[in-house]
Amino acid sequence: MKKLIFTLAILATIIMLPSCEKFLSVDPPYAQDAENFFQTPEDYERALVGAYDLLQSSFLTLWIGEIASDNAIAGGESVNDSKGLHDIDNMTHGGVNVELRNVLRWNYTGITRANYILEHKDNIDFPRKAHILAEAKFLRAYYYFELVKFFGDVPLIIDKRIGIEEARTIPRSPKAEVYAQIEADLIAAAAVLNPVAAQKGRATRGAAKALLGKVYLYQNKFTEAAAIFDEIIDSGQYSLYPDYSQLFSVAAENNPETIFDVEYTGAEGGSYGCLICLEGNAAVGFQGIRQYNGPVYGDGNSYNLPTPELYAAFSPIDPRRAATVLDIEAFIAAQPNPVQITYAIGAGGHTGYYNNKYIKKQGEIGLPDNDLTSPVNYRVLRYADVLLMAAEAHYQLGNPSRATALVNQIRQRAGIPGASVNNIEKVYNERRLELSGEGLRFFDLVRTGQAAQYIPGFVVGKHEVFPIPQVEIDLAGGNWSQNPGY
Amino acid sequence: MIRKLVMALLCSIGVTQVYGQAKTVSGTILNERSEGIPYVKVLVKNTSKPVLSDAKGLFQIPVNNPDSAILVLTAMGYEKLEYPLAGKTNVTILLTSITQDTKDIVVIGYGSAKTKELTGATSKVKGEDIEKMNMTRMDQALQGQVSGVTISSNSGSPGGSSNIRIRGLSTFGDNDPLILVDGVVYDSEGLNALNPADIKSINVLKDATAGIYGVRAANGVIIVETKNGSVNRKPSIEYNGYYGMQQTARRLDLLTAEEYAVIKNEAFAFGGQAMPFGNTNLGTGTNWQDSVFSNAPVQSHNLSLNGGTLNTRYSIGLGYFNQDGIVGGDKANFGRYNARMNFSTDMSDKLKLNSVLLFSSDMRSTLPENGIGSVLYNTINAFPNEPVYSGPNTFSYMEEVSDIINPIAQIQNQYNWSTANKFVGKEEFIYEFNENLSLTNRFNYNYANVEAKVFSPLVWYGDGKYANTAANAELESPQVEIADSVFIDRGAAVYEERSTFLDLTYEAFLNYDKTFGENHKVKGTLGASVFKRDGSSLSGVAYGIPNNSIAYADISANTAQGGFLNNTNSWEFTERLVSGFFRGEYAFKEKYMVSGILRRDGSSKFGPNSRYGIFPTISGAWLISDEDFFKSKSIDYLKLRMSYGVSGNDQIPNFAYRALLNGEGVYVFNDLITQGIAIGRPANPDLKWETTRQFNVGIDLTWLKVLNFSTNYFVKNTFDLLFQPDVSAIIGSYGPGGYPPIINAGDVSNKGWEFEVAYKSDVKNLLQTNLSFNFTSINNQVVSVPTGVEYIPGASFSVGGDVATRFQAGYEIGYFFGYQTAGIFQTQEEIDNATVVQEGAQPGDLIFVDQNGDGKINFSDDSDKTYLGSAIPDFTMGFAFNFKIKSFDLSGNVYSAIGQEIIRNYERQQPYANQLAYVIDRWTGPGSTNEHPRLTTGATNNNLFSDYYVEDGSFVRLRNVQFGYTLPKNAAKKIHVETLRVYVAANNILTLTRYMGFDPDLGSSNVLSAGVDYGMYPQARSIMSGIQIKF
Repeated sequence: MKKLIFTLAILATIIMLPSCEKFLSVDPPYAQDAENFFQTPEDYERALVGAYDLLQSSFLTLWIGEIASDNAIAGGESVNDSKGLHDIDNMTHGGVNVELRNVLRWNYTGITRANYILEHKDNIDFPRKAHILAEAKFLRAYYYFELVKFFGDVPLIIDKRIGIEEARTIPRSPKAEVYAQIEADLIAAAAVLNPVAAQKGRATRGAAKALLGKVYLYQNKFTEAAAIFDEIIDSGQYSLYPDYSQLFSVAAENNPETIFDVEYTGAEGGSYGCLICLEGNAAVGFQGIRQYNGPVYGDGNSYNLPTPELYAAFSPIDPRRAATVLDIEAFIAAQPNPVQITYAIGAGGHTGYYNNKYIKKQGEIGLPDNDLTSPVNYRVLRYADVLLMAAEAHYQLGNPSRATALVNQIRQRAGIPGASVNNIEKVYNERRLELSGEGLRFFDLVRTGQAAQYIPGFVVGKHEVFPIPQVEIDLAGGNWSQNPGY
Repeated sequence: MIRKLVMALLCSIGVTQVYGQAKTVSGTILNERSEGIPYVKVLVKNTSKPVLSDAKGLFQIPVNNPDSAILVLTAMGYEKLEYPLAGKTNVTILLTSITQDTKDIVVIGYGSAKTKELTGATSKVKGEDIEKMNMTRMDQALQGQVSGVTISSNSGSPGGSSNIRIRGLSTFGDNDPLILVDGVVYDSEGLNALNPADIKSINVLKDATAGIYGVRAANGVIIVETKNGSVNRKPSIEYNGYYGMQQTARRLDLLTAEEYAVIKNEAFAFGGQAMPFGNTNLGTGTNWQDSVFSNAPVQSHNLSLNGGTLNTRYSIGLGYFNQDGIVGGDKANFGRYNARMNFSTDMSDKLKLNSVLLFSSDMRSTLPENGIGSVLYNTINAFPNEPVYSGPNTFSYMEEVSDIINPIAQIQNQYNWSTANKFVGKEEFIYEFNENLSLTNRFNYNYANVEAKVFSPLVWYGDGKYANTAANAELESPQVEIADSVFIDRGAAVYEERSTFLDLTYEAFLNYDKTFGENHKVKGTLGASVFKRDGSSLSGVAYGIPNNSIAYADISANTAQGGFLNNTNSWEFTERLVSGFFRGEYAFKEKYMVSGILRRDGSSKFGPNSRYGIFPTISGAWLISDEDFFKSKSIDYLKLRMSYGVSGNDQIPNFAYRALLNGEGVYVFNDLITQGIAIGRPANPDLKWETTRQFNVGIDLTWLKVLNFSTNYFVKNTFDLLFQPDVSAIIGSYGPGGYPPIINAGDVSNKGWEFEVAYKSDVKNLLQTNLSFNFTSINNQVVSVPTGVEYIPGASFSVGGDVATRFQAGYEIGYFFGYQTAGIFQTQEEIDNATVVQEGAQPGDLIFVDQNGDGKINFSDDSDKTYLGSAIPDFTMGFAFNFKIKSFDLSGNVYSAIGQEIIRNYERQQPYANQLAYVIDRWTGPGSTNEHPRLTTGATNNNLFSDYYVEDGSFVRLRNVQFGYTLPKNAAKKIHVETLRVYVAANNILTLTRYMGFDPDLGSSNVLSAGVDYGMYPQARSIMSGIQIKF
């Protein structure tokens, strides 16, 4: 009898246990699940911080916008050091390019994080919700604009997350549709966003408007662009910072010229293993002087080196030349103990020039590895850019005198004589002189149809947009066609 | 009542007999050690009244007819003996003990089987063969011991782990087999806690019959049993110890200072830059390897106590092990204390208890190894023209580069250690209902407490060095701006972590074993298992450690201003597994055997949609040599085996099926780091285990009683690989802290052939010889990858360089992919006239092969890259020998892996980095060489990943050789020991290879990084002397 009970007991255990669903249904301890989030205003705030995070991928825009243009070469330790940048530099880039793939990946991650908030926009109501949703829309527009600048037509995903299967079914939306969505998001955001940021780094009404104006300009919608730029100018909220040479220093951050910055800090260390995880500006250390040992500057990886052509484009009396391009030999020669100052030349290329706007400087150095943790903000939209874009729009609308007045505000701040804008080229040229080294040049050249004229190897009808990385075409089910010529 | 009466009756008859005619026979029963055996049951054959021997083995028994009587002696733990008295009345009888380690018994999971009954492919290694290797870890000692098991070293540093791969790589992720030590799951890291001297046997289940472990069995199962005692034995004490010195087995041939200066001048000149060395007459310069490598001691001491009474067996072990590193000495140390107790007792006739308790405490300190920035990487690349010390207390800086630092300074500044305290145990109750049926209930536990500490002092390696933590050479602290114009000192930092892990397993199973009639043998196992694993961790980092001193390296001592930079972290996890299993075996006439296994697993690793899996296996064997028609005189034993079955692999992170907000969403507002949230890994509710279907056919054969052959052919196909492949960017999973979802996709196939042969000379020979050889050949191929994915990229070559290894359909896992070369361009004319345009080529450059035939070498895409080899050997072999003549013994072990390639990735492509001496044979002008390209600091495609950087990694290694002397028995007795053996041994003394790096035995737990050499910490060569004493 005892045996029987024993046997039965064990058999019962065997049969019962595998169906012991309760034992197996364990939740991750102390972890928040993505599906039951957005229960409190705090949840929305935190998700929004996550959506801002991807702005810090801006260093790629800064590099590619310069290196692809006639402004800079790739540089670095060797031609294999960030090979994708060297390919872009030589206009030999193709379907395999790590940096371009990162542009695609990181901006879509930003979009997904913004969409995650907007997907749950109706969960609860609270006073700041409208503003949070407006910030999310601004960010989504920002990321889509990056993508459309780089790749032209891109898949448009709005207010939802997608899975692997669905990703294989989504086509590339025509550029116009993407632009329409960007405009809609920015208009909606501008209506709600605070004129003055509650916290340094938040998107503002001015930021949404300035970005919207830029988006119009990229589509040659000069009327709309001029109107919105005039709104910004007429608001009187912004003005040019007097000292151009200090404009890119940490000390001058958040000045009246700032419309929107990507925020960085040096208070968190970093490693090369994950550049997107950094809280510092990787561009600044990478663009530093290789093995530099001397005053003022810090050492770096000699990326994104200005070309002699850019140096020569400046008038010698233009103070913006020195503020934009560091002539390393001239600088060293001017120091008290030049023989004690050393630096190295990377095998990835050398021009003798460094990007003096975003460069590692003593006093602006973050935690180790300080090549990666610069606190210097990336200036996305500054008032000078708005003035020059306004000048361009007004000139195109047949108002050269307004364009002249706007351009001369810029020249006056720089400390050089005014000029008469009797030719659109003059606006373009002023843009180059004012905004070089900031990642705008390549996109400006493409937008204005001048790229083939200035960039050796540029093929019209091909290089206006970058290729979609082939692997991304495959991963998306192979339904996307590659950009023409690639 | 009736029974009593009968007894009384029988007794009276007996008494009558004794007092009637009997003589008394007295005797002593001794074991091999001439000790008396107590409790031996002595019976005159065909009578019914036994007597028992006393504590000294003495007995007296009345015998009716001593001339013809036969004594039957039975005792627990000894072979039964029938002893004809042949008229003697005073006898000394020797009984042979049954060793627990009977070679005939193989553990097969929830039971055991005689070799003869086996239907699956299993291999067994005896504990003594493991112990003899004098290795730190069990996995190291297992290399080359059995066929089908390929072991490669992750690191030669003390406490470094190995990769155990049973029958090849079958998946993209975790390929580790399930390792059970007395039923307790050990992971690769946990093997540090196991003392090889405590191992009684290792059984490897290689084929589908491992499926009794279901969802965890796809990578094979290794069952380790620790030593236990013997019934009815006086306690014996054994000491086993050795002491040895280790040194590096190899130094790389690097440039001397003079060669370096000449070659760098040339490279700079080629690159259009000024020559850095005006004077090249620098002599030999600094040999950094001499400074970095040192002799390091290793020692091991083990004490064990074994014995048993009639009802109880016990085995107690104590161990101490300590090993310094050949790089870094005590900065790369491994130490271990072990205590073990195995205790078995018969609580009643039917209820038995087996109790095991293993305690270990191990400590490991480590240096950065096997990566860019590791000590050996810096050693290889350090400049020979710079001294180690530039001043009395100052290290040289090598200021021309930022990413090569002084390796001696690096070692000195490294304080990185961890300890693990571990309790592992088993309480097992076996209830035997009758001789056919038993019930086992067992409870296993594995508790580990892991502590780690890293002290990061303020250090200065020279201007601009990546590893600097100080602001300057005066070791001042860097300042951190925590808010607008608020600066604080960062100071030296200490990181501490405490983690605990607890596994609990409860298992219950019935074993049934009965032979019906003469011919029908039935065995069955039916059981259930519940497994739970929990882990948690708390860690913290604190800044401002006083005086920059290790003496205050504790969070409690921190002086961080306002605690602003200090940080804490924690995690917790839980996982569960519930299983039911059944195995039925049937044998007809012990000739035809068939066995079936069915296991059902429920795993918390997977979501509700596919939480449960069923894993069936069928196997059979035919003992041909027992057939009547089989009449071979030379073949004593011949068996054919076959098996086919399904098993699973669930080794993925917990909760991978659901989306958690564990990504990183951090931004800077108001100049302060602001924490947000983000999705880490997107959800995949349909995630399930990967499935391996394996077919095995094998033959076992014994020839002339001295040669044992065993061979297997297998086909192992793995489906629904647990993958974390690249997914489309538009899913948005590639942000900080984000990962692609884990999905089931892709298939891998392994086909292979294994062969083992062992020779054991006849015991009568003067020269006792044991030889064994095993051979494994595996053909690994990726059959498919996830939809839309052409390949999964693996390790990259050089710094920021191209992807050099891939996971791609049609190729081996992790094969090497790059440019094929065809010599060197000798002249400009040759370049100009070449049919293939190679942009940027100059005389002295590598000629690349145009794979796609479009007439040019494409550097911006992969179209001209091709297969350049793989880290998977074509075959591996192990050979062991053991000779014994009189008191002397000689044994050894050879391991060989043939046909794999290694990527030479430890050379920094920096203008100033030192190089291997092969660059002396570089191209210097037309006709100088067709092998090594010119050197230049300028832009060159020679640095792209090509077969120039791929080397043959084949090697043959004499891993261990041991020569021993055992004191003859008589002499031993005089000094009151049972046995005394002394030996000298050497490990890793000879390696035949063409590979230029430190060590061709190079593995990686990541299948796509295997065979990529970053300057791996090599296995030491050691010379040891040891002693074994048994009392």
